[in-house]
Amino acid sequence: MKNFLLIVLAVAVAALALFAMAPRRPAADAGRTRPAGPLRTVSLYVGGEKMKFLENPETRRLLAERHGLSLHAVKAGSIEMVRDLDLAGKDALWPSNDIAVEFFRMRGAKARATDIAFNSPIVIYTGWNIANALIREGLVEKRDDGYYIVRFADLLAMCQERRKWKDLGLNFFGTVSVRSTDPSRSNSGNMFAGLVANMMNGADVVDERRVEALLPRLQAFFSPMGLMEHSSEDIFLKFIATGVNNSMIVGYENQLVEFLLAHPENREAILSSVCVLYPLPTVWSSHPIIALTENGQRLIDAMRDGEIQDLAWRRHGFRSGLAGVSQNPAVLNIPFVPETIESVIPLPSARAMDRIVQALSAPR
Amino acid sequence: MRCGLRRRMPGLAAAALLAAATGCGERGAGRFLPGASARLVVVAGSENKELEPILQRFARRERVVLDIRYKGSVEMMLDLEQGRANEADVVWPAHSMWISLGDIHKVVRHAESILHSPIVFGVKRSVAQRLGWLDREVTVADILAAAEGGRLRFAMTSATQSNSGAQGYLGFLHALAGSPDVLLMEHLEDAAVQRKTARLLQQVNRSSGSSGWLKDLVVERYDQFDAMVNYEAMVIEANRELTAKGLEPMVAVYPADGLAIADSPMGYIDKGDAAREAAFRALQAHLKSPAIQQEILSLGRRAGIVGLDASAVDRRVFNPEWGIDVARVISPVPVPAEPVLRRALELYQEGGLRKPSATVYCLDFSGSMKGEGEAQIKQAMRLLLDREQARRFLLQPSGRDLHLVIPFDRAPRRVAEARGNDPAELGRLLADIDATHAEGGTDIYAAVQQALQALAERRISSDYSVAVLLMTDGRSQGDDGALRQALHGRETAVPVFGITFGEASDSQVKRIAALTGARVFDGRSGLVQAFRHAKGYN
Repeated sequence: MKNFLLIVLAVAVAALALFAMAPRRPAADAGRTRPAGPLRTVSLYVGGEKMKFLENPETRRLLAERHGLSLHAVKAGSIEMVRDLDLAGKDALWPSNDIAVEFFRMRGAKARATDIAFNSPIVIYTGWNIANALIREGLVEKRDDGYYIVRFADLLAMCQERRKWKDLGLNFFGTVSVRSTDPSRSNSGNMFAGLVANMMNGADVVDERRVEALLPRLQAFFSPMGLMEHSSEDIFLKFIATGVNNSMIVGYENQLVEFLLAHPENREAILSSVCVLYPLPTVWSSHPIIALTENGQRLIDAMRDGEIQDLAWRRHGFRSGLAGVSQNPAVLNIPFVPETIESVIPLPSARAMDRIVQALSAPR
Repeated sequence: MRCGLRRRMPGLAAAALLAAATGCGERGAGRFLPGASARLVVVAGSENKELEPILQRFARRERVVLDIRYKGSVEMMLDLEQGRANEADVVWPAHSMWISLGDIHKVVRHAESILHSPIVFGVKRSVAQRLGWLDREVTVADILAAAEGGRLRFAMTSATQSNSGAQGYLGFLHALAGSPDVLLMEHLEDAAVQRKTARLLQQVNRSSGSSGWLKDLVVERYDQFDAMVNYEAMVIEANRELTAKGLEPMVAVYPADGLAIADSPMGYIDKGDAAREAAFRALQAHLKSPAIQQEILSLGRRAGIVGLDASAVDRRVFNPEWGIDVARVISPVPVPAEPVLRRALELYQEGGLRKPSATVYCLDFSGSMKGEGEAQIKQAMRLLLDREQARRFLLQPSGRDLHLVIPFDRAPRRVAEARGNDPAELGRLLADIDATHAEGGTDIYAAVQQALQALAERRISSDYSVAVLLMTDGRSQGDDGALRQALHGRETAVPVFGITFGEASDSQVKRIAALTGARVFDGRSGLVQAFRHAKGYN
């Protein structure tokens, strides 16, 4: 009898353990019966690149019907929101950078929970005239799958050597350069600064000991950008409006994906104007949700919903933050998106990034 | 309608409100709030005036009220610093740098470019031919040489009041500093760069606070101008009017090393009103819809989904005969970092880079001005002549400015004078004004005559940017006969700007303004603001 009971107990424990360890239930069931009552409002700061996803009526519907949530999202730079802005009344912060979470902790603040919802690699956007010039120079190559890579160390060298666009056979003034958002206020610029720092460090991840020596070169690299935008969405939209044939900008893979999906009738016009270059190596932009309150926690839970994750990829180009989930680029029907990202380098350590942000902070 | 919630809410209004709150509604479809209405105060750059019918057509169709007001981009920046207290719901400056600089409270959302237009030199065709500029690359150095050689008189808006002037000025600075990667403080402090820039700006023969108005003035008095710095779209508009009058068009010259482009962003100032936000999103989507972008393109503004599709343009508008070049890559000089940008504007206004102003203030101190009117005049003059106050609006005097004040009633009382920007001297002038009291009748014509005489006596030449600011609140006795006599046969009149107050006769000051190539500012809802706007014109 005792053995029988022990077996039952063991089976029960095993079943419980299996249940607890099981990955979150897949799409169809998760959040089907939402909490009763009126919608809870989640107030958050969010990186601009997620705005269109959050404003998508389909996203709002899923959040409301499956999770009982309505969002009040205010756009803010990823670094600004964890370092400078007032958090009173906010349920969550949703920057575009895991380092932002570190900065948040370094300021002494406590999060209820954090969770990476999405990932998107940093890419470089430019026009075909510039891309073709770089192909001629051997910096850019087309992969069999149809996407383009750029050897980032070589591009960096070209910028630092102050080669002119005219030297590459292009017919306009200026020095070859890659523009980004303000690294001290916005994530894509921040991550780009980390990538540039690593490459200036001989393609080695920068730590606290190495960072000081690199700061003057980093400052010299960013200073010529002049007035930098504070948000990744701003720099992307300005690029689309006036910058395509005369500049290279840093952005996220998902920005052009989303833009194409939002303008299907202009697909050919967009594809024939804009080229996306995947840097070798690049850095991942993770989109962690920092929950400050219970409502923030509910947002985390909601974003793990398979249907919402699927929507995020299908309509906005965000790669999943869930472990073990891979992206199918065929779903997007966009030629330039790779299935996996070839070459990734981790960002410098949080303390090193902090020094970098300090050194690149423009006087206000 | 894909909004599931709608089916559950009773009542159309409630459903509509909820639809707005959850953003249900298709971008670009135009049906945003059936049965409801919203009112948006839209503050836009003057260069967008020709697009107003497009916006009002949308407004009528969607039953939205659009209260459209025109302001300079720099003033929009200053207003943005007020955050939610801004009167505007929608801000539409000529360039995104003014939103970047002004939006310190982070209230602007959804800012997106509606159209874009490069800043060009519009040069009378015969002048461009004479200069040998028709078929070659022209640099800022070429422009400087032509202007200094007396071969090019050009009009340009104030860099501290208007975007086209600001971007033109930044382009000059960049080129004259030797085309660095970006303009830095060290370039601004370089005496040679300052000297060359000042020499170029000294050749401006007319200033303005508004790009649109400058274009109108140049078209109206075409014989007095060789060229203007303005948007390509304004040159196109001007040329359509000029050629309709049988006059020769201007040719667009793109300074190769001083290029700039206005990206015309329209943004929403979030005051927490969901209905207004929905109305804004619908307006913005409408303006960016393919059909409207095509219409905007037909009006000479660059538009389209990505940059400009050169194959889609109408060559009667983007006319190669007018030098309009849609194939050229417009690589704008980078906007400098904020401290450099602010210092550049300060150098322009106060540091002697701009052409000095000679301003005569004819101030109505007739009996009817007693009380409120008198107080407001004194407040307005304090704002213009006190450095710290003027500085807030980037209107501070420079070391070479001339200020004449003529208080008048039935006759001009005296001519008070101050030169430069020494606080003690300006303080004396202000004390003189403070000690002046209202009484008597009104004769604006005698006052203006006195102003012109005072300028002539001091031999104020075209080395100055000259203006008379005539502020009055009453019907004037006398008439403009003597004034017309004085103007007859003179090539260029001193512009006499009107600032009206109280019972002022608009027609009288309007006639004087029209005679002299100036405009009238309504001071009835605030004299101080009217003075401020008027001062931005010289």
